Amino acid sequence: MDFASNITISALFQQTLVGLSRTTILFIVASGLSLILGVLRIPNVAHGSLYMIGAFIMYSVNLFFGGGQAGFWMAVLLSPLAVALISLVVERGLFQHLYEREHLMLLLFTFSITLVFGDLVKMIWGSDYRCVDLPSAFQGFFTILGFPFPRYNLLLIIIGPIVAFGLWFLTNKTRIGKIARAAAVDREMVGAIGINVSLIFAAVFVIGCFLAGLGGALVAPTQNIRQGMDHAIIIEAFLIVIMGGLGNIWGALLGALIFGLTDSIGILVWPQFAIVFPYVVVVIALLFCPKGLLKSTW
Amino acid sequence: MSDNRSAWKALVPWLAVFVLLLFVPRFLPRFHVYLLGLIFTTGLLAVSLNLVLGLGGMYQFHHAVFYGIGAYTVAIVITKTTLSPCIGFLLAPVVSALLSLAIGLICVRLSKLYFGMLQISLGSLVWAVVFRWYSFTGGDDGIHGIPVPDIISSTDGAYYFSLILTAICLIVMQRIVNSPFGRSFQAVRDNPVRSEAVGINVKRVQLTGMVISGAFAGIAGSLFVVIEGSVFPELMFWTLSLEIIIMCLLGGWFTFLGPMLGAAIIVLLRTVVGIYTEYWTLVLGIVLMLLILFLPQGVLGFFLEKFKRGGMKAVQERK
Amino acid sequence: MLLVENLQKSFDGFIAVSDARLEVEKGEVVAVIGPNGAGKTTLFNLITGQLRADSGRILFKGENISGMPSYEICRKGISRSFQVVNIFSRLTVFENVRVSVISHNKRTFNLFSRAESIAVSETEEILQSLGFSEKANRISGSLSHGDQKVLEMAIALGNRPELLILDEPTAGMSPEETRDTLELMKLLSRERGITILFCEHDMELVFSISNRIMVMQHGRTIIQSKPDVVRNDTHVQEAYLGGADERI
Repeated sequence: MDFASNITISALFQQTLVGLSRTTILFIVASGLSLILGVLRIPNVAHGSLYMIGAFIMYSVNLFFGGGQAGFWMAVLLSPLAVALISLVVERGLFQHLYEREHLMLLLFTFSITLVFGDLVKMIWGSDYRCVDLPSAFQGFFTILGFPFPRYNLLLIIIGPIVAFGLWFLTNKTRIGKIARAAAVDREMVGAIGINVSLIFAAVFVIGCFLAGLGGALVAPTQNIRQGMDHAIIIEAFLIVIMGGLGNIWGALLGALIFGLTDSIGILVWPQFAIVFPYVVVVIALLFCPKGLLKSTW
Repeated sequence: MSDNRSAWKALVPWLAVFVLLLFVPRFLPRFHVYLLGLIFTTGLLAVSLNLVLGLGGMYQFHHAVFYGIGAYTVAIVITKTTLSPCIGFLLAPVVSALLSLAIGLICVRLSKLYFGMLQISLGSLVWAVVFRWYSFTGGDDGIHGIPVPDIISSTDGAYYFSLILTAICLIVMQRIVNSPFGRSFQAVRDNPVRSEAVGINVKRVQLTGMVISGAFAGIAGSLFVVIEGSVFPELMFWTLSLEIIIMCLLGGWFTFLGPMLGAAIIVLLRTVVGIYTEYWTLVLGIVLMLLILFLPQGVLGFFLEKFKRGGMKAVQERK
Repeated sequence: MLLVENLQKSFDGFIAVSDARLEVEKGEVVAVIGPNGAGKTTLFNLITGQLRADSGRILFKGENISGMPSYEICRKGISRSFQVVNIFSRLTVFENVRVSVISHNKRTFNLFSRAESIAVSETEEILQSLGFSEKANRISGSLSHGDQKVLEMAIALGNRPELLILDEPTAGMSPEETRDTLELMKLLSRERGITILFCEHDMELVFSISNRIMVMQHGRTIIQSKPDVVRNDTHVQEAYLGGADERI
C-alpha cells in the first residue's frame, strides 16, 4: 500500500493545479447540468452523452482544420455550438412536450437518449480510442515558482473562472437570466405574466447543453476520447450537483472544486483508491446537508 | 375456507407453467436455455426492486449495488477462499442484506428524492471501491472463469438452479407482499403521516423493506455467477440500476410479476436485436423512449386496462 | 388522563401556541373551541406528535409524551383523526381500517402470515359499527367527503384508543351526517368508555355533547370549564365578538 509516500511541497503544488484544471472541466459540465435541473427540473442523464459528443466533434473538427492553433480554436468554438444545435433539435422535438411529466419518467427518458446517442457515436466514429494533439504552444510546461506545470492545464485553470463569470453574468445580470431564475421558482407565474416560458426553457436547455459540449471539447486533448466517457462523467456531474445544491451554479463550482481537488490530492495520499475520496466526501457532505451544501432551487 | 380453495385454484396455472419450464431443456437449444436462465435471474432482480419501488414507493435509485455485492460474494468465496461454494451462496443474501441495512440506516432518514440521491452516492462509493481493489475484487477486470460447482456448471444445471431458486424466492416474496407487513408497507407508501399516526414506525418498516429487497437482489446476484461464471464492476454501476427501474416500469410496477415481464422484454430485446446488429443499444433506447412516451403504465398496465373494465385494480393517480 | 401545561410552539417567529393548558379526565368528552387560527390543530398536532413543542409538558396517564414520535404516542393509547381528510386513498375502505388494527395488534412486521386472515373480524366489527359494511371493498379515494371523514374516525378506532382525538370531525358534512357523527361520538363515549377530545366549529354539537369546553384564542387557553360557565364568561364572549365565525 502506497501510503503518503509522495507528499512533497512540489507534488502537492502540482496536484493542486492538476485538480484545479480538472475542476474547470467538472464545473463546466456540472453547471450546465445544474442549470437544466434547476430551471427545467429535468434530470438530464444525456448530458454526459453531449459531453462525449462534444469531445468527438472536437477531434473531428481539429482534424479537419489540420490541427495546430487553428484546429484547436475552431474545434473548441464549433463543437459546443454543434452540441447546442443537436440539443435544440432534441428539445423542440421531444422535451418540450414532456415538461409536465414525473421526474422519474424524465430521468428514464433521458437515459434512453443516452443509449441512443452512445450508439450513434459508435456508428459515426467507431469503437476505437481517439486522441487529440495539442497545438505546440500548449504543449510542454511552464515553470511556476520553480515547479514544472503543464501549459494546457494552466489554460484550463484560466478558462474556468471566465466561464463561471460568464454564467454568473448571464443568470444575474441579463434579462433572460432573471426570467429563467424566476421560472425556476414558479413557472406558472412567469407564464401568467405573459412571458413565453417555452422559449426561455429552450434557451436554458441549449445553454446548458452548450456547456456540456464545451466541457467535452476542452477535455479532449487531456485524455483518450472513448465510449464510456459519457457514463463516467455523468455520475460525477450529478454527484457534484447534488452535493452543491440542485440548480445552484455556485454549488456546482464548490462541488467541482471539492471533487477535483480530493481526487488529485488523493493520488498523493493513497494512489490506488484516489477516485474513492471524492465519493466519500460527497457522502459525508450529504449526511450533514442532505439538500446540498448551498441553497437549491427545488 | 372458500378463500383457501380459490387460492389453490389460482396456484394451478403457475404450477403448470413451472412443470412446463422443467421440461424446457429437452426441447429448446442450449442458447435458449441459457437465455431463460438469464431472464429468471434478471426477473428476480427486478421483482426484488419492485418490493421497495412499487410496493413501498421508495426511490431506490441504486439497487444494482445489492445485486453486484451478492454476485461478488459468491465469486470471492469460490475463488479466494477454501470454503465450500455453498457457503458463498448462503452468504450472498446475507452480505446484501447487511449492505442494505447499512445503506438503509443512512438513507432512510430522508424522503423521496433525497433518499434516492444519497443512495446513489453511497452506491457509487461501493462501486468505486470495488473498481479499484484489484487484489480482492479483480478491479475493473472483475473475476472470470469462476469454477462453479459441477452440478450447476452446465447450461442445463445452471438453468434448473436458477429456475428453482427463482421460483422459491418468488413464492416467499409473494407471501411477504400479502402479509400484514406488506399491507403496512403499502400504507406507508400511500400516507406516511397517517401511518405514523396509527402506530406504524415508518422508518423501521422502510428499512425492513429495503433489507428484504436487498437480500433477494443478492440471491439474484449469486444466480448470475452460476449462469455467466464471472463478475465485473458493471454489475453495480448506475446504468444497471436505471435499467432495473425501467424493467419494473416497463412491465408494470403495480403488479407482482410485472417486473419479471419487463426483465424478459429487455433481455430478449438485447439478445435478439444483438443478433442482427451490434447497435442493439440504439434500438433498446428507441424502444424505451417510445414506451415512456406512449405507455406510461407499462406493457402490463396497457393490457390490463384494455381487458379489465371498471375498477378492479386501483386506478393509479399520478402524484 | 391527559394534562397539557404551558405548551409553547412557534414557527419562524410566528407564535402558534403559547401557554396552552388542557385537562381531560378519563371518560370525559372535552371540546376545544376558538376562532380560526387560534391554534387548535397545532395543539392537537403537538399532543399526537406530528409537531414537537418548544417548551411545556404533555402528560398522558402520568407519563410525559411531549417530543415522542407519533407512532409511539399512538401505542400509548391515543388515536386521532385529521381535519383535512388523511386516509390511504389507494387502498380499500377495509384495508384502511385493517392497517391500523394490524398495527394495534403489533403485527406490522409479520412477514409470513396471509394478510387476508389477520384482523378480519375486528376490522369488520369496526366497519359495521360505523355502518360501512357494504362499502368495505370500495377504494377509499372514491368515497364522498362525508364518508371519508367517517373513515377517518374508523381508522383511528382501529387502534382501540383510550383517548380519541378528533380534529373537526364534522367539517364539510351535511346536517344529517353531522347528526350521525354526534350519535356515534355519544356511543363511543357512553358505551365504549372512550375518552374523547375534539375541536369543532359547530357550536350546537359542542354544547350538546361536551362535559367540559376549553376555549383558545391566539394560541392561548382562555378558559376551560363546564359548558354553562364557558357560555357566560366575558372573555369568551369578547373573543367571539371579535371573530366573525361563530355565535354562541
